[in-house]
Amino acid sequence: MIIINRGALNAQASANLLFTTAAVRNKLAKLLMQKPRQQTLITIAVVLVVLWGSFLVFIGWAMRQPPEKFGRVMMHMPMPAFFLFPFETMWSQARAGNVQPGEMAPDFRLPTLDHQSEVELSSLRGKPVVLVFGSYT
Amino acid sequence: MAFYAVYIVEAHPTDIWQMKSNIKDNVLFANPKSDEERAFVAGACVRKLGIKFPAIIDGIENRTEVAYTGWPDRLYLIDRDGKVVFKSKPGPFGFKPDQLEAAIKKLNRVQAAK
Repeated sequence: MIIINRGALNAQASANLLFTTAAVRNKLAKLLMQKPRQQTLITIAVVLVVLWGSFLVFIGWAMRQPPEKFGRVMMHMPMPAFFLFPFETMWSQARAGNVQPGEMAPDFRLPTLDHQSEVELSSLRGKPVVLVFGSYT
Repeated sequence: MAFYAVYIVEAHPTDIWQMKSNIKDNVLFANPKSDEERAFVAGACVRKLGIKFPAIIDGIENRTEVAYTGWPDRLYLIDRDGKVVFKSKPGPFGFKPDQLEAAIKKLNRVQAAK
């Protein structure tokens, strides 16, 4: 017959918690007690990480804005800044869009270049359609 | 199969995020402010690049671009029932005609088997 001593188990859990808390406190104390030069380096590293994180959040926000607004942000960004973040990955995520393969293509009715006629996507049913989105610049 | 160039909002006009490559190639247009201005730039694009398939022009409100997330450039293949079967990743990185070609061949095989 196994007798569970709840009191002993609780005491053991409390001791473990105290030990863990003490270990974390000791590590923090060690960090704080380090030499001024090391403290400065740690501070600089933390500030840089926070700045980089804020920069990523800002770029992610900008990528989700309408093209003209995004362009007005990017036109002020120096070229070296483009190497500070994974542009292509972030761009693909930000511009993933709502329409996905397997879904109905949104209908549209747009004028042709010469404005002599209009093209309505839904009127093209019965044959596959390729759409090439783009601009000159 | 029908091909359409959907002319949308400019990527790098002279007044917004102009690229050095556009200066070098003398592709210098300010951001169009009206349907007529956009059609003018689109016409220059079609003539200069020799685009053979028909071009249609998105309105200045960019509704079609927004619906398809087409900016700055993107490729779509839609089947005969109106469903999207291929959507490229956003340009410029994701604009890969060879992927479109593969999707067209696959669609043709599927439709031939039906």
